Amino acid sequence: MIEYDFLTAKDVDAALEYLHKYESIKVIAGGTDLLVDIHKESSRLEKFDYILDISNIKALQFIDETEDSVELGPLCTHTMLINSKIINKYFPFLVTAAKSIGSTQIRNRGTVGGNISNASPAADLIPPLMALNAEIELSSVNGRRLIPLDNYIVGPYKTSKNHDELVTKILIPKVDENYRFSFQKIGRRRALNIARLNLAVAAKINKKDLKIEDIRIVPGSATPFPVRFKNIEMEILNKKSNELNLEELAKKIGDEMVNITGERWSTPYKKPALGAIFKKAIIEITNSSDSDSH
Amino acid sequence: MDKIEVTLYVNNKKETLQVDPTERLLDTLRNRLKLTSVKEGCDVGECGACTVILNGEAVHSCLVLTAQVDGYEIFTTEGLEVNGKLDPLQQSFIDHQAVQCGFCTPGMLMSAKALLNKNPNPSREEIKTAIEGNLCRCTGYQQIVEAIESVTQDKKG
Ligand SMILES: Cc1cc2nc3c(=O)[nH]c(=O)nc-3n(C[C@H](O)[C@H](O)[C@H](O)COP(=O)(O)OP(=O)(O)OC[C@H]3O[C@@H](n4cnc5c(N)ncnc54)[C@H](O)[C@@H]3O)c2cc1C
Ligand code: FES
Ligand code: FES
Repeated sequence: MIEYDFLTAKDVDAALEYLHKYESIKVIAGGTDLLVDIHKESSRLEKFDYILDISNIKALQFIDETEDSVELGPLCTHTMLINSKIINKYFPFLVTAAKSIGSTQIRNRGTVGGNISNASPAADLIPPLMALNAEIELSSVNGRRLIPLDNYIVGPYKTSKNHDELVTKILIPKVDENYRFSFQKIGRRRALNIARLNLAVAAKINKKDLKIEDIRIVPGSATPFPVRFKNIEMEILNKKSNELNLEELAKKIGDEMVNITGERWSTPYKKPALGAIFKKAIIEITNSSDSDSH
Repeated sequence: MDKIEVTLYVNNKKETLQVDPTERLLDTLRNRLKLTSVKEGCDVGECGACTVILNGEAVHSCLVLTAQVDGYEIFTTEGLEVNGKLDPLQQSFIDHQAVQCGFCTPGMLMSAKALLNKNPNPSREEIKTAIEGNLCRCTGYQQIVEAIESVTQDKKG
């Protein structure tokens, strides 16, 4: 059995003091990832002597809107995202992603900060947050820094967080009203034998000429950790949405995945599956853009 | 490992306990407070048999450390019965033959109760979503969904 001492912090400063003082310390928020790893004595878990509970720090549970951005506290649960007017208004695909997570019990307890910090290749909030160019605020006793989510996730189950840092905010820049979003997912966690995949796409489509002026494509579970598929983005950028060759693009996104990962046992399943959900995402985005312009 | 003192409000009763840092809410409820309606199934959040209502929300007690919930309100199936009278939801489970082996039943009742407390008139879809984290090997869910549906506000009376 894994043994440890328990520390609890009621505010951010107290948590940062603990993180500064002890090196061998593991933060716990909702515990839905960490307690499973502890129970299974997962080999991924590095040794730790203390668990620091942050789940009762009220100041880390908020969803705020500023002029240019939406700010999330790391302790927002998936249920809070689903129920938030702000998130439904600006980033509806984040709601779709949160709704797809686990079960009601998991959504009530699991947090955004935990989902991104666990850095699972299959985490459902990472692709949409990456497609939104979200930034992560990391705090320590020495101050705060803001880094892009792309730089926070650096490997499977690996982040660039220093051991004395805590995620204290997730900052999502607002985008103009010409952006359209789609989140797709196949496979369920319970069915462990079925390889699962997810995908987030955000695109800016000019209403007049249907030109795609910006596009961000982030598959999850396709690569060791979620990354933007910039080569596919380049294929699409500045084309007109009604002129895209979806069959060709679906094949290309599969090839791009294999370029990154090499052939794996799951490739024969994942390649066509990624192509299929990608097609669905593009159709969803272009349809919703069409219907606006009428 | 230093013990931690916590106060829990379990089924409206105050309990002050010294717990180990590794003790899960599931262990506290079952082993110390003898609330054995809370079932131990998979221990990893997949079966829902350990579901309790924590400050109003259905959660897996196998994935919560007791030390994390000092001062919280907790409801278990034992808390549904008042003065020897079953909660309408419990009666409805019996009436609709939603209980077979019964292993999943307490967790199912807690998920359903948490839903009804928030939304006395859920749709069939909302009922299904609320119990999607509760596995039942016996019933096929039909009777369970019907049992919950029949105590919603529209169906009562
Ligand atoms: C049955 C089951 C089904 C699930 N289904 C899904 C699913 O469909 N999709 C999905 O994406 N996930 C799923 N999960 C995983 C999990 O629920 C989520 O990733 C959840 O969001 C994790 O949040 P948490 O607060 O519980 O994290 P915790 O377990 O508390 O923490 C996870 C990690 O993040 C670190 N951490 C947490 N908060 C911070 C912070 N503020 N700063 C720095 N580090 C921090 C912890 O130290 C730990 O390493 C599932 C889990 C279970 C058990
Ligand atoms: S025992 Fe907690 S979900 Fe199975
Ligand atoms: S009644 Fe047996 S598991 Fe549900």
